[in-house]
Amino acid sequence: MKSVAAPTVFIIDDDRGMRQAIHDLVESVGLRAESFATGEEFLGKNHAHRPSCLVLDVRLPRMSGLDFQRRLAESGMQIPIIFVTAHGDISMSVRALKSGAVEFLTKPFRDQDLLDAIQQALERDGITLKEQAEVHDLQERYRALTPREQEVMTLVVSGMLNKQIASDIGASEATVKIHRGNVMHKMHAASVVDLVRMADKLKDTPRK
Amino acid sequence: MAKEDVQKTLAELSRELQESKARLEEAQRVAHVGHWEWDLETDVVVWSDETHRIFGLSPQERPMDLATVQSMVHPDDREPLYRGVDQDLVAGERPSGEFRIVRPSGEVRTVSSLTSERWSSLPGDTKKDASGRPHRLFGTIQDITERKHTEEAFQEISRKLQESNARLEEAQRIANVGHYSWDLIENRVTWSDELYRIYGLDPRQAAIDLAKVGEMIHPEDRELVFAAAEKALQSGTPADIEHRLVRPNGEIRTIHSFGTVKRDASGRAYEMFGTAQDITDRKCSEEALKQSQFYLSEGQRLAHMGSWAFNESGHYWSDELYKIYGLDPQNGAPTVEQYLALIHPQDRASMAETIKRMQEEHCGFDQIERIIRPDGQLHYIRAVAVPVLEQGIFKGFIGTTMDVTEQELLTQELRREQGYLAEAQSLAHIGSWATNFYTKQIFHISDETFRLHGFDPKDRTPLERFFDTVHPEDAAAVTAAIDQAIHARTDFDLREYRVCHPDGTIRFVRAIGHHNPSGEMGYYVGITMDITERKKAEQEREKLRQLEADLAHINRVNMMGELAAALAHEIRQPIAASITSANACLRWLAREPPDLERARAAAARIEQDGNRAAEVINRLRSFYMKGVPPEREMVDIKEITREMTALLRKEAVRHSIKIYSELAEDLPTVLADRVQIQQVFMNLMLNAIEAMKDTGGKLTISSRSTPQGHVTVSIGDTGIGLSVENTERIFDAFHTTKPQGTGMGLAITRSIVDAHGGRVWATVNQEAGATFHFTLPAKTEADA
Repeated sequence: MKSVAAPTVFIIDDDRGMRQAIHDLVESVGLRAESFATGEEFLGKNHAHRPSCLVLDVRLPRMSGLDFQRRLAESGMQIPIIFVTAHGDISMSVRALKSGAVEFLTKPFRDQDLLDAIQQALERDGITLKEQAEVHDLQERYRALTPREQEVMTLVVSGMLNKQIASDIGASEATVKIHRGNVMHKMHAASVVDLVRMADKLKDTPRK
Repeated sequence: MAKEDVQKTLAELSRELQESKARLEEAQRVAHVGHWEWDLETDVVVWSDETHRIFGLSPQERPMDLATVQSMVHPDDREPLYRGVDQDLVAGERPSGEFRIVRPSGEVRTVSSLTSERWSSLPGDTKKDASGRPHRLFGTIQDITERKHTEEAFQEISRKLQESNARLEEAQRIANVGHYSWDLIENRVTWSDELYRIYGLDPRQAAIDLAKVGEMIHPEDRELVFAAAEKALQSGTPADIEHRLVRPNGEIRTIHSFGTVKRDASGRAYEMFGTAQDITDRKCSEEALKQSQFYLSEGQRLAHMGSWAFNESGHYWSDELYKIYGLDPQNGAPTVEQYLALIHPQDRASMAETIKRMQEEHCGFDQIERIIRPDGQLHYIRAVAVPVLEQGIFKGFIGTTMDVTEQELLTQELRREQGYLAEAQSLAHIGSWATNFYTKQIFHISDETFRLHGFDPKDRTPLERFFDTVHPEDAAAVTAAIDQAIHARTDFDLREYRVCHPDGTIRFVRAIGHHNPSGEMGYYVGITMDITERKKAEQEREKLRQLEADLAHINRVNMMGELAAALAHEIRQPIAASITSANACLRWLAREPPDLERARAAAARIEQDGNRAAEVINRLRSFYMKGVPPEREMVDIKEITREMTALLRKEAVRHSIKIYSELAEDLPTVLADRVQIQQVFMNLMLNAIEAMKDTGGKLTISSRSTPQGHVTVSIGDTGIGLSVENTERIFDAFHTTKPQGTGMGLAITRSIVDAHGGRVWATVNQEAGATFHFTLPAKTEADA
């Protein structure tokens, strides 16, 4: 497993005063902060793989915070978002939270509320990153299987016996046994149950 | 001479004497002449036999004496006779005279008596007395009764001739016939009076001559007249011609002239006698007759009308009738069978029936049938037949037949058009009518008109019932409007009233009546249309318009809300930022050890954000024009008044408000922000309209310059007005007297006017409404 970098809080707010104030507050609790005036500026930067969250102003020039949230989701970037707004309303906050926002804060907000939300978001992102790493690992292992082994794995996971698999793929039962042994070994599976769990995880993530 | 000779001679002489006496007697008898001798001394009268006979006596009946003679003279003639004889004798004249005698039979004869002077003067026989009177007279007497009769008869004839001449003249005059005689030897013409008159001449003026006659004949006819006369002279046939003449006054007359030539025994023509008749009038009537005959046939031709007669003597068809049926007149009138063959098969049976009835019952008919001409053309024919009765006895039929194809096709077309019209009326819900409201006569009511009033067109409801359908609330106005139009002889337009249908539905209708002012009083042609749908649509539109107005107001309120929200965001942003910075600052300070550098930086940001919030507030205030004045330019108040009046006129008209402006001519210009001054006008005028929107009224804009060099503008209304204590508070922000007002209009107005160094105030009008005034300091170009 790769080492996890220091968590970072990204801030996007077009109001310079607000941006600087949040940036300063985040740094005052010892977290790393990076702030941007626009969403485009944020997207333009290559973010290293580390736990992070986004403090996003709902009202941004050219593109609203909610639209930006959707765009991030479409590009597959999973980053927890904390919305802040000077004039939020209930429907807007409901929409934001449904779309996966961590928190929706109305300016002026209590500093502790923002910091709590940031803490929660970073933790959530840490878990997400760990899971992503695990899946990534499984994918690596799966890709190491030969096509025949991948085929045998699919049939094993579906609960077929060796005999059935042999007749299905037109091979001898002994050959199936060898393939099966290879699959268990290469996938680091302790048991068939373990292999089924792995297959589930692989199924959930898009195959690249 | 010997004695015998003498004897013989004597005897001879005596015989001769006797003979001669006898001859004399005979002569006297034949000539009714007798002779007499009167011995004046003895008064013995000796008469010849004839004299006796003249007197109705037998000869020698008795010797005559004078008394007898005298007694036989007609008593009336005696006295003149004797007096005449005496006078003649005294004067030495031979007495003579005519007198009547009365015969013994009573017969009256007229005689003429002559006295022979010669006889009395015979030598030896004549004796005269001392006075010189002869002793004896000898004379003749002649019975002139017959001659006298003849004379009288002649005189009678002559008188009658004159009379008949006069009558002839008269007759000629009346008949316009004159006569002439042309003496061919002397080459002289004689004219009757009438002929002069025919030629337009006066008979008493100079006599006519041939040259003049020639001149008066119409130049075009002269040759003809002369040729005819020449021919008559040569051939002997009478000249019989018609020619024209030109009267001296230029009038042209037509003359029928007839002349015959008279010839003597040798055959030489010596006279031409003739008559001339003025036939101008006859000519005219002949022309007229010809013309009317022409018109008749032409009329038949044009009207496509033929006539026919059918009686014992036969069957007559006029030329036009043949044409109508497309038949050849040469073939004569068709038989009934031939005729029926021409009839359209669908009409043939009924026509055959009609002809049968006509023949059996002698009844006429009038019907339209279709025929197919030999050339195949279909025509519509209207045939009318009338029985002819003479003293109740049937004599036959006469009739007319008309080609009504055009009319029939037109009628069909008309029916179709009427159908379309009725359809259109029904679709458009417009009914037409023509009626006299005064006499209550109905001339036309279309089906749709009935339906619009809730009646069935088949019922032909009377006019009064139409009035009964008018809604009770509208009836008085409708009746009054129509009455007024009737008496003023004008059109009317009942723009909207309600009619109640028998089934209870109420419809809105509009009725327009057109009256021809020169026409019959009360006569109107018009339409009634159902405007219920339109009315509904109008009401919908009005609702919609109201809604729009409300929405506009809500928009305005929303805009204020938006504005407030925007302001709130503007202010909240720096406040939120400063709070966050303060929080950060506190955290830097709370660190062990406190990070003073970061804390100071945070505090600096707090100050910045605080200032930022203050700026927003400042900007907000400047939004209400307390800040730096924006664009200032020379503004003409009159021009702005015109612009704003034009801009708001539509809105004013919608609420029945009239805008008046009373602008001083010498108004100075002001240095001001044009848009802001427009806004002031707009606010005050809209307020005025708002105050009158339910009542309508008058919006007055007046402007004048004050002695202090200010321009004062007053905008007055006649609306709901203000309470006196309100006149100050109304300018405060968020103070409103209107249920939906924002309370900002007058506050902004005051900000603007204040910013321009002016003043704004309100007064309550004496009569109704309020007036808002504002002053602006006038600036000349030099001040700017």
